[in-house]
Formats: sequence, C-alpha cells, structure tokens
Amino acid sequence: MAEKLIELKNVTYVYEADEEGEPGYAAVKDVSLDIHKGEFAVILGHNGSGKSTLAKLMNAIYEPSEGTVTVKGIPSDSEENGDKIRRIVGMVFQNPDNQIVATIVEDDVAFGPENLGVEPSEIRRRVDEALKTVGMYEHREREPHKLSGGQKQRVAIAGVLAMQTECIILDEPTAMLDPVGREEVINTIRRLNKEMGITVVLITHFMEEAVLADRVIVFDGGRCIAEGTPREIFSQPGFLIDHGLDIPQSAQLSNALGFEECALTPEECVDKITEMMGGAKND
Amino acid sequence: MTDPIKLINVSHYYSQGLPVQVAAVKNINLTIKAGEAVGIIGHTGSGKSTLISHFNGLLKPSEGTVLVDGEDIHKDKETLRRSRFKIGLCFQYPESQLFEETVAKDIAFGPGNMGLSDSEIALRVERAAEFVGLKRELLSKSPFDLSGGEKRRAAIAGVMAMEPEVLVLDEPAAGLDPRGKNEILRMIMNYREQTGSTIVFVSHSMEDIAATAERIIVMNHGEIALEGTVDEVFSHGESLRTMGLNVPEITRIFMMLRQRGIDVPSNIYSVEEGARILRGLAEGRRG
Repeated sequence: MAEKLIELKNVTYVYEADEEGEPGYAAVKDVSLDIHKGEFAVILGHNGSGKSTLAKLMNAIYEPSEGTVTVKGIPSDSEENGDKIRRIVGMVFQNPDNQIVATIVEDDVAFGPENLGVEPSEIRRRVDEALKTVGMYEHREREPHKLSGGQKQRVAIAGVLAMQTECIILDEPTAMLDPVGREEVINTIRRLNKEMGITVVLITHFMEEAVLADRVIVFDGGRCIAEGTPREIFSQPGFLIDHGLDIPQSAQLSNALGFEECALTPEECVDKITEMMGGAKND
Repeated sequence: MTDPIKLINVSHYYSQGLPVQVAAVKNINLTIKAGEAVGIIGHTGSGKSTLISHFNGLLKPSEGTVLVDGEDIHKDKETLRRSRFKIGLCFQYPESQLFEETVAKDIAFGPGNMGLSDSEIALRVERAAEFVGLKRELLSKSPFDLSGGEKRRAAIAGVMAMEPEVLVLDEPAAGLDPRGKNEILRMIMNYREQTGSTIVFVSHSMEDIAATAERIIVMNHGEIALEGTVDEVFSHGESLRTMGLNVPEITRIFMMLRQRGIDVPSNIYSVEEGARILRGLAEGRRG
C-alpha cells in the first residue's frame, strides 16, 4: 500500500447555527478516508452531499469539528499547521474568474510563491516551469480575462504548481467549461498525476471524468458510501442513480447490451461491440 | 405567422470606437420560429450570451436590427418594454439574483412589473412553481434557505411566471449534479409541451442538446458557424472539434463503429436507441 498523504479519521464537520436563526448542520459525518501519495482519486456526489466541505477539510481551510485530519503527519489543528498543509495540498476551484488575482498571466502564477517569500530568481524558474507544464507558457504575458475558460483553469493549476505542492484538490474545475476546455484541463490533470507523480483529488459531476481515476469515492449525506475502481463503481448503475448520480453513456450502452464487464470509454465500448459483432468487416 | 425573434445583420461591439474594440457577435442573421426548441452551442467566449442578450433588448446591437413579433424592439420605449415580457431571459446561475424575502415574492417580481392584478400574479406564481416542481410549503420560505437545485428552479420559475412567448435559458443546468440536471431539462421540456412556448437554450453539454433541441445554432468566434437540425449539425463532428465542441458520447461510439466497417447509422443520440439497433444487428448476424 502506498504511503498515506492525507488521513481523515472519524471526521465530522458542523456548520454552526448563525445569528439569523439558521440551524447548524453536519455536512461531513464521521468520515474516515485516506488519500495515498501519487493516486488519482475522484470524489462523486450530488449537490449538497458534502464533497466541497470534505475538500476544504483536506487542505485545512476548515478544521474538523470532531476527529482528525493529518497531511503527511501534520494535524490541521492550528493556523500555523494550516499554512504548512496548504504548501503540500493546493486547491483549484470551480469558477476560474474568482481565483485569478493579477492582470498578467505570469504575475498570477507568481502570486503564490511570492507570498511564501521565495527568492525572485527561483520564482521566475517556477513560474516558467509551471506554465510550460500546463501548456500556457506562450500565453504568459497575456491578460487572464482574455483567455478561454479552459486556459484560465490551467493558469490556476499553474499557480498551484508554482507553490510546489505535492497534491492538488480540484473542486469541479470543469463545471463552467466547453467540451474542449474540459478536455484540456483533464488532460493537464492526468499528466501532472502520471508524469510528475502529483497526487490528485478531483471532485466532479462529470462521470466521464471519473472513469480516468485510480479510485472513485462516492459521497452522500456527508458520508463516504462507496469506493472502488471506476469499473466497480460504474457497474452498479442503479446504486449511482439512487444517489443522484449517473454513469457515462459508454457504460450505459455496455450495461444495456449485457456485457459482463462494463466499458468505461467510447474506445472500450467500440472494441466490445466489434467483438460482439464477430469482428470488424475490414479486419 | 410572424416569427417571435428575428435578427438581421446584427453585430455587437464592446468598447466601440476605442482601439480595443472587439466584435462580440458579427453579422448575425437568425430566426427563431414559434414553437420550436433551439439549442445554442459554442466555445466559451464565442458570443452565445451576448447573442441571447439581444433577444429581449437587454443589449442594443451596434449594427443591425432585432425584430420581436415583426417589430423593431428598439423602435421606442414601449416596444422594448413589451419585448421584455414576450422574451423571458434566464441567465447563467440565475439563483445569484434571488433577492426577495420569500420565494413566492421572488417568483412574483417579473409578473408584478407587467401591471397584472394581484389575483393573476398569485395564479401565475402557483403555476410556475408547479412547472418547476417547487413544493407549496417552500413558497413562504426565504430563497436563501433553499438548496442549490431548488434555488435554480425558483429563479427559472420567476421567468416562467411572466409566461413569455419565448423562454431563453443560458446554461440552465450548469453546475448541477446529474439528477438535478435531468430534472431541470425534463421540467423545461414539460413546460414547452404544456404551454406550447418557444424554447431557446444554451448548453455546453452535447448530450443534453441532442436530447432536447430540434434545431442547433453553433456559435464560433462571434459568428454563426453552423445551423441546422440535430442530425445536420452533429454530422460535422470534425468541424465541431475545431470549434471547441464535440458530438455526444453515444454518437461518437456509433461514428467509430462505422469507421470500423460496422453498418450502423451515425445519427444516434440516445443509449436506448443505440442499444436497440445493436441488438437487432447482432441477431441478424447470428441468424
């Protein structure tokens, strides 16, 4: 078993009652979960299932009401530790316009390391490298607001990379993007994971993104209700639909055709159908 | 019959006259016919939102004319006002614009501006709430106490309550989970069926567009790049890719099967239909 990077032990998070009489409620309930170094984990769950709260617990934006969250052995129980944790675990949010702070792409990427007090020459090196990694180096001198949604999200990811975090949590990073923008972001995330060994926790509503994960964690009612490989998870369509989720069309089709093992991608589905038809005609 | 919306040579420039002038939409000619369901797709920044903001006069074209029911909506103030009620526009993430004390008051805001009687407003609020499946007991709550999906539905109900001839929705299902998304789409189609209204909606989901639209308009860099039936538009898979778009996943599977020499149609948009065809084909081969 790979080394544990993030460990949640019996974690509960309660949003307190507010002054206007809003009752408090527990968004995350008694969750025990580990994220392993180098893995690509996807968290699925309907709106309000507690996934975003979970994400904020994982990078110490929130401290647990009960239980413990530790990142590389550091408990998220003080502001000082929170700062340390956020140098290990970075976060990218849904709306690219809310996380861009500078008027030039490279300044935006430099913002994080500057705040950490990194040497200017080292910042330069990190910014260039991060922008190259996400394929945005040639856009380094552009104004962020003139970029497409997918490009903005890649700049946000570069900002996290420039802080040299070991793990990136992305909270619905593709929700506002067009199909190609989504693909750009997802391909970037996969490359970071496969080629640079960065641990990825991706929260998404897109089932076709979840098929790329090493492990899928399903969240509902503030609890982790299932986890497994994408194939294990998407072989149970009824279960997912009951929890407000869905399965990709490739898996739907392969389930409808009664394939023993469900296909996760269009390519896999086409292979299985070709086989069912007794091979392709031009073979 | 006059078409509810017609755009003639419409262009819209931001920062007009300045060196940084950009055309957000250019030379748009388009007609929305009564009763149809039109889907608009296009990459981010392709001008979709700018385009639909012209439909009810929220934006005035820099060049060209917008006709609503055959009348130039910028002719005078009164025509513009009337057009606002005829063409109901629901923005992206419309729940961010909820502001009243109660859900009922929020839904009543639009019809309240139309000078309707209180009893008519009450009736419309009730009808709209029913269309979007908001339970009666929620109507007296503060909109801020609703869940994300409920807020979205309350905001859409606010536009429906004006009973516009054309309901225009900008990414009505963005950010919702699969169940919430399917509910919103079902509710919009049900509204169309029951009221006979014209529907125009913007989406980034090719699957949703294929399942709900009859006609598709494809925006690319501020211009209409493609327009036609679902079959016509999705037969241009390659061009769609270059425009930041795609075909639905199920359609992609059938296109790939054809490339392998398997004799299936490529215009398949639902899993049920696809599964039926493949089962039939497999039986034929065995028999």
